[in-house]
Amino acid sequence: MPSILYLRSMGHEFPAFLSFAESEAVTARYLREVSDDELARYDAILVPAHIDQRGLARREAALTRFLDKGGTLVFNGHLVYPMLGLAPFVPSQGGHKDDLIVESVNAHPVFDGVDDYDISFRRGVSGFYGRGGNPPPAGAIILHRMKTDHAPLDWFWERPQGGRILMHAGNTMWMYLGDDTSAARIAPQLLAWLKATSGKRAACDGKCAQRAQAQTLAQPQNLLAQAA
Amino acid sequence: MRIAYLDGGAYYHHATFHGRGFSRYFAANIYAPELDDTDLDEFDGLYVASRQDPEHLRRNKAKIDAFLDAGKTLVVMGDNDAETWVPGARWEARPVNFWWWLTPGADSGLRVASPEHDLMKTIPLADFTWHQHGVLTPPQGAVSLVDRADGGSIFYDDRASAKGRILVTTLDPCYHNGSYFMPAATRFLQGFLPWLAKA
Repeated sequence: MPSILYLRSMGHEFPAFLSFAESEAVTARYLREVSDDELARYDAILVPAHIDQRGLARREAALTRFLDKGGTLVFNGHLVYPMLGLAPFVPSQGGHKDDLIVESVNAHPVFDGVDDYDISFRRGVSGFYGRGGNPPPAGAIILHRMKTDHAPLDWFWERPQGGRILMHAGNTMWMYLGDDTSAARIAPQLLAWLKATSGKRAACDGKCAQRAQAQTLAQPQNLLAQAA
Repeated sequence: MRIAYLDGGAYYHHATFHGRGFSRYFAANIYAPELDDTDLDEFDGLYVASRQDPEHLRRNKAKIDAFLDAGKTLVVMGDNDAETWVPGARWEARPVNFWWWLTPGADSGLRVASPEHDLMKTIPLADFTWHQHGVLTPPQGAVSLVDRADGGSIFYDDRASAKGRILVTTLDPCYHNGSYFMPAATRFLQGFLPWLAKA
């Protein structure tokens, strides 16, 4: 089974997710407890929004090694420290309720059955899930975007050099685990997807570019087109 | 006052320090894991942004106590386990009601406790008002600025527990301002930081 590391939040950890992750054999450690070599050894790493991102960016060499050997990085939050060649967070303009609606662009197993409404609103309030985007690299597949300005809120990227990044530029995606909506599907689907696809199956032996291209061609239908 | 900003490395610590011109109120940015190796002598104030890894604060309790012994000012924002390292601090959890404001005309439950305090003449109660993470019991001799109607303080000013001054709150403005989420938190900082710089 793939080895999965959950880097614990500095604050506002979601106890239900911690229990769930540990019950699913995910290793939960604080960043300060994990050496560079250990980081590089895992098959998947979960990064919550409440992480010491400055400290994580200082581990860029280890994260690069982790990705190069086929690791899957699940990153939550606004990217503000340069790392992995990614561009920094751009907030969406406008803070009104309807400026912060999220819409699906492409399907992904982690978000299967998750209704756009349930990540756009909580008790009728918008903006919890995200309010901007971490700009995607070329070749990334946009999964969710802000409806008004199309900010790239969630994307999935298979790096040409190896490894994969599932990016969510907002509040930690597994915070919905206890919600009574379809958004509660995200956390279990995330772990199921990682178990099914990370580790040896994600390593690509230099064939990542071809694989990424094949995946792009095989993408499920655009949900917007489907809705239209 | 020369104030050092303690930065836990989270995106919201970065955004609060660098955004909206707030960095002009600070003489330095100290990365919390490097507090062990940082000399605080050159600063008059230490601003601990909300939601740090409290391990770094507990580990430096002696250094922070010495800073206060020198008559300096410590500002502790919310969610920092203040009760484990701040002299005199007592905190208890309360259910966080994120949703009270959805009811038209709802009472936030906050009350100005010291209307004569200089800070309360600077910032309206509305700018202290979003939600709070638990309540504080001010030490003897400290002054609560904002109370909860059902008991406890959410912001106090303590000149009694140390030679220096300690301001403690359960509000987390750095997180919300740095997340572009909660205009009151930004207004709070726009009022508080200039006040602190002159305090």
